[in-house]
Amino acid sequence: MYKCKEIIELTSKEMDISLPWVTRMEMKLHFLMCKTCSRYAKQLQFMNKALGALEGHSHAENCQLSDSAKQRIAKKMQQAKEAVK
Amino acid sequence: MTQSNNESPENWLNDYGDILYRFALARVRSEATAEDLVQETLLAGFLAFDKFSGNSTVRTWLVGILKHKIIDHYRKHSRELTLLNNDESANDVLAYQFDQQGNWQVDLVEWGTPDKSMDDEQFWLAFNDCLTRLPQRMADLLLLRTVDGLETEECCALLGFESDNQLWVTLSRTRVKLRQCLETNWFSKE
Repeated sequence: MYKCKEIIELTSKEMDISLPWVTRMEMKLHFLMCKTCSRYAKQLQFMNKALGALEGHSHAENCQLSDSAKQRIAKKMQQAKEAVK
Repeated sequence: MTQSNNESPENWLNDYGDILYRFALARVRSEATAEDLVQETLLAGFLAFDKFSGNSTVRTWLVGILKHKIIDHYRKHSRELTLLNNDESANDVLAYQFDQQGNWQVDLVEWGTPDKSMDDEQFWLAFNDCLTRLPQRMADLLLLRTVDGLETEECCALLGFESDNQLWVTLSRTRVKLRQCLETNWFSKE
């Protein structure tokens, strides 16, 4: 029988690789009996879903390129353009 | 902001510079490095613009290039990154959540219907904030693996894990930490 501490590790591992079915059965059994671990597993699944959608939202923090960086990059772009001509 | 498919590279810096910069900054946490990545991305995009198919927006296309640049950055700097970030090895992540026997000693808050949080910009602020609070290597690992989909072996090589098992253990602890932060920062406040 797995301890809760082991179950949460397996829960994470299962998101990345497939586990032997005996292990999965033991996990299922544990979830039936343990509300906290079952809640943990659900929350981890939500986190994975949110990570999958992160790309559209990683701009949340309000940062901008500094003017000096913009000038530097614009200059490099200009140089590249002239080099291609 | 215009997103037509025949826009000129000259406008990219103004139109997409900040978007790319925020995207890069969320991953590398260094302003100078993020600026360099934006520059490399725009230059690479400019040189490869004839290969742009028009099947996506220029913005999506540039973000795609930036993602490759970010992974390249990890490849180039993996040794330094490993030396810098060994701060997550402490066992304290789990120590206060479990007792000696390995049973929970905290109660997890019920998150209700978390999916509706995903429509809330405030939630994403909290989520990004929690990612920033993770030790750098933990955040790198989680994002390289789950967002960029890099294989285990490559993650080990890039971030200096000695075995797959060490990587699984760290990944699990990262999720414990992130979950705890989301609960504190968001789901307990709703």
